[in-house]
Amino acid sequence: MFDLQKLMEWEILTFLLALAGLVVVQLLTGAINTNGFFCGRVSGRRRGEDQYFSPERVQLLVFTLGAASHYVSQVLTNLHPGTFPPMPEGWLAVVGGSNAIYLGGKTYARWFANGSSK
Amino acid sequence: MATLSLVCGYVICVLIGLLGVFVLWRIADGSIDLSRLISEPNGDASMSRFQFLVFTFVVALSLFLVIVSAPNHPTFPNVPATILSLLGISGSSYLVSKGIQFSDPAGIDDRGVDVNITPVKAIVHFGQTQQFQADVPRKPGSPVKWEVIAGPGNIDAKGLYTAPAAAAAPAGGAAATTALHATIQVTSDEYPDAFDLAVVTLV
Repeated sequence: MFDLQKLMEWEILTFLLALAGLVVVQLLTGAINTNGFFCGRVSGRRRGEDQYFSPERVQLLVFTLGAASHYVSQVLTNLHPGTFPPMPEGWLAVVGGSNAIYLGGKTYARWFANGSSK
Repeated sequence: MATLSLVCGYVICVLIGLLGVFVLWRIADGSIDLSRLISEPNGDASMSRFQFLVFTFVVALSLFLVIVSAPNHPTFPNVPATILSLLGISGSSYLVSKGIQFSDPAGIDDRGVDVNITPVKAIVHFGQTQQFQADVPRKPGSPVKWEVIAGPGNIDAKGLYTAPAAAAAPAGGAAATTALHATIQVTSDEYPDAFDLAVVTLV
């Protein structure tokens, strides 16, 4: 007879990992739309001429995946079972700074890149 | 009573398992459409949405692992302020990002679905074939319909154009001396307003 608690644990863990796997596969194969993922848009320009490659999005992706994988590794090697390991404040600063750069780039593209501020 | 509780527990466990399998299966076969999971209303993929998705999933997985790893019995743990801050940064960034985007009407307009045909021009000898490809960037691999909307020749469901065996004799009986043209149209099945054209020159 299986232990009911263990069975439920494996069931939910399997579901979460399978769901994540499906999303990752669909992202990589293009089944989930990634069109323009690394592109920003400059306001006020004609359609077709308003896209630009956006380094601020690339750095946000890198730091997002870095922070996420770092935290998951901390949870998996947690020395105090039953509690959340704290997120190092350095990582918070990195994620916050990365988001600020991303928003800065978006603000620039929206109001300043085309020389207008309507 | 203990036996009844155990039986109920197993029944609930099986039902939840079946529900999970059903959801995963529907996602895998496309019945649950995730194609716009991280997309904006205008059709572009959004980095903010992606970040929100990643952090939400990481916290959900972490919460589950922390609860089941409790030494005595599963209990809901205290969530550290740093984790809440992380979610707060992600959520705030998402909101500000949407505020910037939606301040411009063009940031909300749906840009429509594009279908791209390649090659857009082709020179084909009479009796020969030419393979065309179509790409729907918003939904790669989605079905398309091929048609010859003007000129001679046929095209099959996979985009293989077949030119006629010989030039049709023009009125008056003289042999054809000028090139003929055919126009190929590819249309998305899912987005009937999205199409692209290619021109074939027959020589």
